[in-house]
Amino acid sequence: MNPIVHALVIGVPLLTFLMGGAALATWFERRFSGKMQTRWGPTVVGPAGLLQPVADALKMMQKEDIVPRAADRTLFNLAPLFPPFLVIASAAVIPFAATIDADGAVKATGVVADLDIGILWVMALAGLMVFPIWVAGWAANNKYTMLSGMRMVAQGISYEIPMVLCALVPVIFAGSLSLSDIVAYQAVHGWNALSLSPSAIVGAVAALLFFLASLAEANRIPFDIPEAESELIGGVMVEYTGIKFGIFMLAEYLHTIVASALTAVLFFGGPLGPGPAVLGLGWMLGKTLVLFVLIYWIRWSLYRFRSDQLMDLCWRILVPLSLVLVMLSALLVAGGFA
Amino acid sequence: MTHMVLTVAAILFALGIYGVTTRKNAIGILVSVELMANAVNLNLVAFSQHWGATGQSFALFAIALTVAEVVVGLALVVLLYRTRKNVNIDLASDLRS
Amino acid sequence: MTAFAVIAGIILASGLMVVRSENLVHSVLWLAVTLIATAVQFVLLNAPFLAGMQLMLYTGGIITLMLFGVMLTIRDEGVDIPNPSEGHLAGAGAALAFLVPTLYAIWGTPDFGPMVDPITAKDIGSSFLGPQLIAFEALSVLLLAAMIGAIVLVRRKDP
Repeated sequence: MNPIVHALVIGVPLLTFLMGGAALATWFERRFSGKMQTRWGPTVVGPAGLLQPVADALKMMQKEDIVPRAADRTLFNLAPLFPPFLVIASAAVIPFAATIDADGAVKATGVVADLDIGILWVMALAGLMVFPIWVAGWAANNKYTMLSGMRMVAQGISYEIPMVLCALVPVIFAGSLSLSDIVAYQAVHGWNALSLSPSAIVGAVAALLFFLASLAEANRIPFDIPEAESELIGGVMVEYTGIKFGIFMLAEYLHTIVASALTAVLFFGGPLGPGPAVLGLGWMLGKTLVLFVLIYWIRWSLYRFRSDQLMDLCWRILVPLSLVLVMLSALLVAGGFA
Repeated sequence: MTHMVLTVAAILFALGIYGVTTRKNAIGILVSVELMANAVNLNLVAFSQHWGATGQSFALFAIALTVAEVVVGLALVVLLYRTRKNVNIDLASDLRS
Repeated sequence: MTAFAVIAGIILASGLMVVRSENLVHSVLWLAVTLIATAVQFVLLNAPFLAGMQLMLYTGGIITLMLFGVMLTIRDEGVDIPNPSEGHLAGAGAALAFLVPTLYAIWGTPDFGPMVDPITAKDIGSSFLGPQLIAFEALSVLLLAAMIGAIVLVRRKDP
């Protein structure tokens, strides 16, 4: 099939799923946290409050659009556009379904673009995600947004290192950067985090570290300090009104969905699971949902880290551990144990 | 086609030269040096289409070297700012008698 | 061909804005646009691995460094960070003095040789651990030296 047609056929449903998922995530977060805190959450708008995201979006759209007088207008208006764009673009390489190949092998499909450099594309975009937030913080000409922007950049570039290194572990096992090759490897050798082979320990620890680093990249509690709602009001987003603020929030919820989908593909087999291959989409969505609920569960259970605790955790614990994991996985592959 | 890419890289390098010679802020000069290094990388990758993987590995080396150079260059600029409270290179000509 | 023309236009236009912008932060951000457009150009030149590396290292790394450098060296508050430039004629002369002979050399070469097969990440890896091994190891030592050097340079001595 023509690559552009293929991309559209898979990309449009994926885009719908991501946007709808992000909107539902706002509803889910409020109902789930309500459940954990024995209160209701939104129940009024629509059945069980399911139209609450629509109401939120309409409310945000009709708010007055204020740009501070001394702000850099062009950058201030441009900065919100990039975070959702980068997050959705990084979801273009995630396989969502599986088929059986001609010779009985499991092949991951349902990818918008099955790049040879699959995971590198995701990591490159994750590295780019810190800029629009810094630009937003700077363009608002506000000391607090500037502070928050610097903290977010520092956190983003620091946690990028364990994220990239731990994403290298399945790459070393599978011998390829392409995400469909990683899924094919897991089809033969067992899931990277849960198999019974010697590489499972390395895979499990790498999964945990990758998950934590993705949480830090997405600025979710406990790594929430740059945009802490109760301390810095909204951090970078303080000067943004109405729909621009909504776009930043949308990017954050999208990032949680994409981070869970990515962890599911890299470490938990993605579309693989017992049963016929046509259930691949269901398995992928199920695993993404489990990790997604885990993200929100963590968010409403833990305190947030202080800035220095955050940096300490990254540089003194996660980075050396990730380096050791990469070395161990290379040794395992060279020794023939994986 | 390769001619066009090399032309683009040459124009970019020339823009970098223009930036290095006209900018007065030390960081502005570093930014123009980055433009020149980028043009060189474009050149290397254009040639690697004809000559193999050596061109792309050289380009990767060049990228890593540029990162190291920017790190040390920015450290020096920060030191310059600390001692003089500005980074205008016209005012940093002490060695010229 | 049109894709190449569009990307080349973006590269050159943003390169021009880098060296002509009046605001230092704008200059750095136009550099980010140039680097991203160059990464797209790498994809058009059959170098996807290098495009990913360019995005990750150059835009993800160097632009962050530049922005932090700008933040550490500004005196005034506000979003207008001056970026003076003088000697435009001499600068343009120097640029043209480079450009004209180079263009002459480029367009004087009729043929660059046959195209090789697209190069994969595996080829680059084999190149690193094969013919370019010494350069690879030296590069790692250099990066370590640059890191340590930068930390030592900007460390504040305790009184």
